[in-house]
Amino acid sequence: MSWLSRLTPRGPGGRSSRNVAPSSPCTADPETCLMVFENHWRQVSWVLEQQDPSSSSDDLTAVRNHTDQMLCLLAEERPGECEGPPGAVTSGNVPPIGPILDLVVSENVLERVVQWHLRRGLDPDSQGALLKLFEMLIGQSQQPLLQHKAVLQPLLGLLGACAEPQLGCPPSLENSLVLLLNQICVSMARAPAVLELLFRSAPAQHGPTNLLIFTLLVPFIHRDGAIGQQARDALLLVMATSASNQGVARYIAENSYFCPVLATGLSALYSSLPRKIEVRGDDWHALRREDWMGVSSLVLFMNSLEFCNAVIQVAHPLVRRQLVDYVHNGFLVPVMGPALHKSSVDEMIASTTYLDLFLRSVTETSLLKAFLRFILMHRHDNDTILDTLLTRINSNSRLCMVSLSLFRTLLSLNCEDLMLQLVLRYLLPCTHVMFSQRRAIRDTDLYGKSADKFLSLIPDCCRLSTAPSAEREEEPALWGKVLNSPSSESPVHHKPSTPSRLALFMRQQSTGGGPCTPSPTETVPSSPGAGPNTPLSPDSPMHPVPEVLDWESGYLEYLRDARRGVELCSWACRNWSAPYDGEDPSPNAAPLPPPPPTSNPSLAMFPEHFSFQQSGSTSPGQQRAAVVAAARSEWSSTERDSGEWDVTIGENSCISLTPRTKKRSLQRDVHIPKPLHLPPDSASLADPSAVPHLRSAPTKGAQQAIINGTLLGGQGDRCRDSQDGGMEVKKVKRELGEQRGAAESSRGLPPHKPSHTQTLSASLLSEPRTNSSNDRMTLRAAASSPGSGPPEAMLFNQSEAVERLISELLDGAGPEEGGQQGPGDSNGQGISIEAFTQELRELEDRVRERSKGVGLLRQLEETTRDPHSGEPPPPSPLDADLMGSGVVAGVVGVFRPLGQTSTQPYTGPFMVVLFAKLENMLQNSLYVNILLTGILGQLACYPQPLLRSFLLNTNMVFQPSVKSLIQVLGSVKSRIETFAASHEDFPAMLKKAQRYLAARGKVDWADSPMGMPTLRRSDALVKSRKPSLGDLILRHTNSPTRARHAAQLALAHVRDGGQSLHSALFRGGSGASGLEKQAEALRVKNAVYCAVIFSEFLKELAALAQEHAVSMPFLQSHDTEE
Amino acid sequence: MNKQRSDSEEQSGEQQQQRASPARPSFGKKQLPSIPKNAVPITKPASPAATAQLANGTHASYGPFYLEYSLLAEFTLVIKQKLPGIYVQPSYKSALMWFGVIFIRHGLYQDGVFKFTVYIPDNYPDGECPRVVFDIPVFHPLVDPVSGELDVRRAFTKWRRNHNHIWQVLMYARTVFYKINTMEPLNPEAAVLYDKDVQLFKSKVIDSVKLCNSHLFDQPKMDDPYAISFSSWNPAIHDEAKERMFTHKRRPEDHHKGLQVSGLSWVKPGSTQPFSKDDNPPLS
Repeated sequence: MSWLSRLTPRGPGGRSSRNVAPSSPCTADPETCLMVFENHWRQVSWVLEQQDPSSSSDDLTAVRNHTDQMLCLLAEERPGECEGPPGAVTSGNVPPIGPILDLVVSENVLERVVQWHLRRGLDPDSQGALLKLFEMLIGQSQQPLLQHKAVLQPLLGLLGACAEPQLGCPPSLENSLVLLLNQICVSMARAPAVLELLFRSAPAQHGPTNLLIFTLLVPFIHRDGAIGQQARDALLLVMATSASNQGVARYIAENSYFCPVLATGLSALYSSLPRKIEVRGDDWHALRREDWMGVSSLVLFMNSLEFCNAVIQVAHPLVRRQLVDYVHNGFLVPVMGPALHKSSVDEMIASTTYLDLFLRSVTETSLLKAFLRFILMHRHDNDTILDTLLTRINSNSRLCMVSLSLFRTLLSLNCEDLMLQLVLRYLLPCTHVMFSQRRAIRDTDLYGKSADKFLSLIPDCCRLSTAPSAEREEEPALWGKVLNSPSSESPVHHKPSTPSRLALFMRQQSTGGGPCTPSPTETVPSSPGAGPNTPLSPDSPMHPVPEVLDWESGYLEYLRDARRGVELCSWACRNWSAPYDGEDPSPNAAPLPPPPPTSNPSLAMFPEHFSFQQSGSTSPGQQRAAVVAAARSEWSSTERDSGEWDVTIGENSCISLTPRTKKRSLQRDVHIPKPLHLPPDSASLADPSAVPHLRSAPTKGAQQAIINGTLLGGQGDRCRDSQDGGMEVKKVKRELGEQRGAAESSRGLPPHKPSHTQTLSASLLSEPRTNSSNDRMTLRAAASSPGSGPPEAMLFNQSEAVERLISELLDGAGPEEGGQQGPGDSNGQGISIEAFTQELRELEDRVRERSKGVGLLRQLEETTRDPHSGEPPPPSPLDADLMGSGVVAGVVGVFRPLGQTSTQPYTGPFMVVLFAKLENMLQNSLYVNILLTGILGQLACYPQPLLRSFLLNTNMVFQPSVKSLIQVLGSVKSRIETFAASHEDFPAMLKKAQRYLAARGKVDWADSPMGMPTLRRSDALVKSRKPSLGDLILRHTNSPTRARHAAQLALAHVRDGGQSLHSALFRGGSGASGLEKQAEALRVKNAVYCAVIFSEFLKELAALAQEHAVSMPFLQSHDTEE
Repeated sequence: MNKQRSDSEEQSGEQQQQRASPARPSFGKKQLPSIPKNAVPITKPASPAATAQLANGTHASYGPFYLEYSLLAEFTLVIKQKLPGIYVQPSYKSALMWFGVIFIRHGLYQDGVFKFTVYIPDNYPDGECPRVVFDIPVFHPLVDPVSGELDVRRAFTKWRRNHNHIWQVLMYARTVFYKINTMEPLNPEAAVLYDKDVQLFKSKVIDSVKLCNSHLFDQPKMDDPYAISFSSWNPAIHDEAKERMFTHKRRPEDHHKGLQVSGLSWVKPGSTQPFSKDDNPPLS
């Protein structure tokens, strides 16, 4: 409990000189002091003995003055020498009490004074005076006082009065009260025996609340500012002191509201957190300390969360367990769960970010377990939180980034249960590898074959600088470098802050709860008992950035980082229950993992084109969530530059949204769409022929519609029956891709193309078991439908409109802004078609309005997403027909042939979504790519052969339907090469991009080496790069030092004599005609950055493959917890 | 057994007094010994593996890493095998040369302590099998009485990467002392004696063992800081070293900085269900 020792000496707010020896007057002569005291006491007792109840105010003043003097003397009295007055009532033999205290005890001075006050009725004034007096006495006393009944009893009497409902404690006195309680707790922590006394000697009239100080403190747990901090300090001291006291612990758990107040307080505090996190930086993806220190509601929450963590750390197991349970059942499930399922993107981003922050902040294993349990096991609307979070990876860039950030945090926990759910359970049956290959699962890359393979995937166009530097590199230098570089100098940025919560806690206390100045160094782990913090100095030049960047010399760094990564990971996994090597747990005994469709079929089916499918038993709420997730994911998918959307919400709430074309958006923006006339490639529902077709044949029902929207559309919006477990993933996708390509080419590039059209064909048919009337609906929207607004009005925020449309549509609870969504109200109720239509109209109007005069430029700049157009038309009359329950069968009938058996190997939604995202690297933003490759690198550190072989063994033969990392990388490689080939100035841009990243990283690194979860990416990048990419992404514009960074960055570029990539790429991109160029430039920028990241990622993977071959396993530790 | 070796891990570039350097458990080290700044690595010059990479790949600069890591991986495998009575240590100067010692605990060669050196071809793993040469030619049918080289090739006629590993060579070097093979001997005298006059063979073996053991404390043949050298028990040095060996717990190099929470697992062994373990200790 090292924090205790640190906590105790520190006086609460503002009293720094507590332990300073008392000033001279009384130290002079104990005899004199005693005489003076006696004198005061005589006068006081004269007043006290007057039986007149209506004592005058003169009396009061006199008593108060004398008492002041007396207590000062008492406080300053030093304990007697070894030969104390023999007759004294002592609680121990050493040290003997001083003569004044002796007198106090024998005459029961304090009790009489307090009783007198109580008898005459305690006015706030004297109540406050007494509180202060006792606080001074206990805080400053030179000898232990509380074990004397003569001190304790009156104190409890006074506190009891404060606890009485009729008297209570006026707000003005709360500070004094808490301060006094804090002092008591500090004394108690010094002399734990006092706790027992406090516990036992409670006045009978207080009944069950026999731990009075406790009862008084609890209401202040969540208070803001110094008072809250003092209360929490005090409670923590009680917790720590009572950790071994079964009786007190039982009392706290059973008779106090401590745990419920603490846990549900979190809920209350959470509800006041900002629902939207305003960030302008495009790289922002997680909350750093400096981000939230300025947000008072968040500070408040974090204070309480950290307090929870601290309590769990020090409290008795009984209390600990109860608190953990309450956090789970009183905060996570009822509050976090719905919050994570909120329907607006902003709220999703906020809640995901919060969850990430919380996870990074919690250090106590049991609390962490509650969080993980919640994420992995709790089903909100039938989906685990994990499932929901997984779908978000596939979403727009910000939501994707915060989700990736969350998963990075999760992975950094090295938790077996998590990895099991996320990845391993899908690999356990070993069905993803050819049977003959199972033995190879344990193989490591002995001869660098896999490494070689990875490195060979570095596109030639990215090797520009490679060859010369490689030749130049003398081997001795390599040896020398790898072996002589002191590994200790490498910066360690692991999981940000878990360790240091207490340090943080302490710091907050010491700053009195005021707005703390963020000091990044303090987030360094300070394990209990590890002595003083040893923060990494922020100034230490951990990575002297070489002036000349050698982008090829970094492989040694990668090896070193890989070694550390693998080593730390296998160390962290040493207590796992099984090796996961393809034999243990046995592949045959492994339960079949959930098939793709039940959780995230869409991810499996169309990684790039999100479609979502829920099992037939889903509740409407779940469907809603699914739709929302799907919509969101689609909205943001990397193909978002397509102008058309198919939204199909079919039976079983099988939903798919599919963006149609690519690279069209700009033209679309400018042109007013002509009536739709698409080539009959039927690639889109937007084809006007499709809609009439539907309309004309209403009797054919939903099946027809869905076929039209999906199968016939050739877009792969295939809904599948959920019971139809497995499905062919890649084949379908490939086919589709081809088809799409064909469709696109056949369509040509007509500027007048009706690309704004958005087709939204959604049918949400819930199973009959759900009773609400609204749970069946079909929405079909076609932009081309008559009466819809001009498409260009929709181009701005179109996708958002769709997304919101869907979410609001499906949000049965209606647009209840803000309110916490309880688990109960998640069943969407009562969306009527009328209401829906109404909403659509409003939406349209809103969107149209907004699109006017809003800077398209900005929009374009901010996101790579091209504007879409589209608008929701009124539901077609056909919809009613679609709801026929017969539809299901039809759909099933149609789709089953496409699917495969449920034994189809499936590597799980996580892998699928990551690979899909990776395959799209070229279009991802720099920051997404950094996070994404970081996570994959993190996964590749895991020593479990199942996972290792899946990711890193390039010789492994997988089942044809299983996409391997190497395949994905290969396709990215060829995309990059294609891109490079089509851009003459690619080499120059590449160099610029490298220099830009390095320069930016340099600046960032220098400024904040600490702080946040540095991305692993940063660790893995070579010296110059190392800082760059990692911290780069951590910066965001709200950071206080941002402006300085920008300035420095600019300077760096001037120094380098280079232009920033940005401006280089955007040259000529001004003016209205530059709009298109800008979009193109953005695309180019992403691709160039991607090329940089991709090459580095390959080196990283190669290094990891090599390091795995030389890593030694750690023995299981038997000291389970440190 | 007073085995001593210099520290190979973090003290790169530092020449250590071999005699004085504390013993360290060889397990747990996984890095090849460092090359001093001024030393010329033997691996470098003619590494066909590396040149092969050069020839057929653009990523030639990584070639050296492959050889290095292959050997490192082999060494790791050796450690993982926990071969009884065999200790090896790559040399300071070259990853292709390993020093070793083998303790024979029973059988004809009981109590024998034989030092040897493993030479790995520089085109490893595509070359011949590694050679094993005893410092002192042991009297054994398969050990050349002059050079001290063990006939390893008979067991690894063709060295096949992925299938053959150096630990197997070491294992083989141990086995020959327990299971005598006299076919096509390098030391015909020993072979004949074993077949014809085991008693004489035995006494010759005993003499040979004695001879070897009497040279145990000699300076290592190779002037290499990581050569294995023996000294008599010196409590001042060895007690502490022994103590450290027994108490040593390997930890990641910088684990204190990074791992606050580790080893999280609530999976019951044998189960693949998350949170299947009941980790709540019973309350008193």
